Amino acid sequence: MLKALIEKEIRDIIGSTKFVITFAVCVLLVFLSFYVGAGNFKTSQAQYEAAKAQNLRQYEGLTDWFNVQSTRIFLPPQPAAVIVSGVSNDIGRTVEVQGRGDLAAEDSKYSDEPLFAAFRFLDLEFLFQMVLALFAILLGYDAISGEKERGTLRLTFANSVPRATFIVGKLIGSAAAMIVPLVTALAAASLLLPALGVPMSGSDWARLGLVIFVGILYLTAILALSIVASAFTHRSSTSFLLLLVIWVGSVMIIPRTAVLVAGRAVDVPSLDDINTQKSKFAAQMFAEDAEKMNSFKPKVSENIDSMMKEVNEFMGGLADERDRKRREFGGRLDEQRRNRQQVQERLAFGLARISPATSLSLALSSISGTSLSLKDRYNENALSYQKAFADFQTEKLGAPVGGRMIRMGRPADDKEKPKPIDLSAIPVFDFAPETLSRSVGEASLDIGLLVLFNLLLFGGAFAAFLRYDLR
Amino acid sequence: MSDPLNVPKSPLLEAVNLTKKYEDGVLALDHVSFGVEGGRVFSMLGANGAGKTTTINLFLNLIEPSEGEARINGFVSHKDPLEAKKYVAFVSENVMLYGNFTAVQNLDFFARIGGKTGYTRDDYREALLRVGLADEAHYKRVKEFSKGMRQKCGIAIAILKDAPAILLDEPTSGLDPKAGYDFIRLLESLRDEGKAILMSTHDIFRAKEVSDTIAIMNNGRIIMQQPAASLAGKDLEDIYMHYMAGHSAVAVN
Repeated sequence: MLKALIEKEIRDIIGSTKFVITFAVCVLLVFLSFYVGAGNFKTSQAQYEAAKAQNLRQYEGLTDWFNVQSTRIFLPPQPAAVIVSGVSNDIGRTVEVQGRGDLAAEDSKYSDEPLFAAFRFLDLEFLFQMVLALFAILLGYDAISGEKERGTLRLTFANSVPRATFIVGKLIGSAAAMIVPLVTALAAASLLLPALGVPMSGSDWARLGLVIFVGILYLTAILALSIVASAFTHRSSTSFLLLLVIWVGSVMIIPRTAVLVAGRAVDVPSLDDINTQKSKFAAQMFAEDAEKMNSFKPKVSENIDSMMKEVNEFMGGLADERDRKRREFGGRLDEQRRNRQQVQERLAFGLARISPATSLSLALSSISGTSLSLKDRYNENALSYQKAFADFQTEKLGAPVGGRMIRMGRPADDKEKPKPIDLSAIPVFDFAPETLSRSVGEASLDIGLLVLFNLLLFGGAFAAFLRYDLR
Repeated sequence: MSDPLNVPKSPLLEAVNLTKKYEDGVLALDHVSFGVEGGRVFSMLGANGAGKTTTINLFLNLIEPSEGEARINGFVSHKDPLEAKKYVAFVSENVMLYGNFTAVQNLDFFARIGGKTGYTRDDYREALLRVGLADEAHYKRVKEFSKGMRQKCGIAIAILKDAPAILLDEPTSGLDPKAGYDFIRLLESLRDEGKAILMSTHDIFRAKEVSDTIAIMNNGRIIMQQPAASLAGKDLEDIYMHYMAGHSAVAVN
């Protein structure tokens, strides 16, 4: 009997006009999403390569490493960001790196192309959260009340059909009618990525598979919610209205309210405040050092190189000490701010996780490596690179540039034309994205919550139907 | 049809002090008792809200009685619903079925949940032809059907279940005269096969034509119950109006 009920449900849904139309729209959007995503990736890849080349080109023809005061590093476009862009378009992609000093990422995709910021990208997160969720609601809102309105419920229960079997058949059948065609469409659309030139590694495919899995978990929760609503109402129009209200609350209201509440509850000092304090401290440090610089007198020597070495060692020592203190002070401020931010984020996410839409967002961006941690990771990578670049400058110049460095020299006596510097010697920035296992670990709480939402809502639908008035 | 169920002599459908009082205090059915044996048609007449549909809902265990029992083939509906409903088929007032399914797909689904899994396409065709649904309609989506065609489909479903008892809730409501006539002939043939038929209807004339027993219900009570034969030569409409006006107390066989 369960088989008959499942088959009936699948056939009834797939044979309906509303399914055909809404599914066609969803498939179109899924393909469009992958197509546009692949196009954006290729554009970003071209911009990334051009920016790297341009960075080296500015030093072409130089003969002295002293003139290479800084270099720029760029966040490479990630194939997984095609699937779920997360914060990848919001964070700065370019960092000017000196051997010393603070690092700041600039030039986010949205700051470069504000038009995209206005409308955002059509990625899988948007599709699952907004479009496909409505698709799930359309499949489920009249699951029970619609059968009652049509009179088929009464006719069905004129037979020896246990309520439990009926609702289980309905839940399984409607979930299958939604999942199988959707996964097929998503799998087919995924093949567009390599075909359109997105270099998908094994890890990227695994991320894509997980994104689809989590998206389906979210949709089954929405479907079960729709069936719950349908089992609590006697008219499908009431059920649909109720679900629209819940959907708007879940996707729009709850996450925004959570952020608002967290913002009010936890005070985080602004970046401007922090930078002002850092600047004041740096100015104070320099003022202290200026006195030492004024009183410093190198030993007068015929050997100008040894004299310069002494000056640079003194100046470098001061700069190193200043840098250390400044880093210490700045690090403390940054850490305090980061701790407050983490408290604020935890509160905001904790409140927003009441909504499955939030869990979906957080899980998908974590799996794709485009969550808020991408910014921290890029920053860590940039700091590591800064160390490598400082070592490189020390190797070439005797000290990292970026503090104060005085250089004196005499024209070469031998008149030999200096050779251009070998730009390929500059350390290459290699961004290491989050490993798949860490991404999954980061997403595990939200995946668990989505599983819990499913269990609760499927259980709710089951319990609600056992008490449903079948007349 | 396959494996016909054993039909006993005692009433296949039996209401014993059947009472339904809703939580809001409305007494929808008040100690109603009757029995329908195999090969008999029992018609319930009455205004809207008289308790006819409530009686059928109690037999189908769609609601539970406040008092008394509805029995199908001896099984008490609210105590052993799954067993009781094996012995009854049901045709509702407005058979909607699954609109995206064809007539045959609807028959197949309801036959399967009715416990009949061995039917072939020929069996479905035979049932549909018997109720007067022509071949060209068998594989059309039911949402394209007229009310009369859907009603025929609903009766075919009841026939295929091959249950010894049939419950009919306003089955001729909205049917054109020809469809109504065909339906009554079909009902007669089912009765002649030994089915116990309980029908709620507003159609006094059809009820008199096909029934063995007629009951008039008002405010949840049976206010008149007579063998149809005893009403021969009498104007049932007059009798109905007379009882509905409250001129008599409960009448019994």
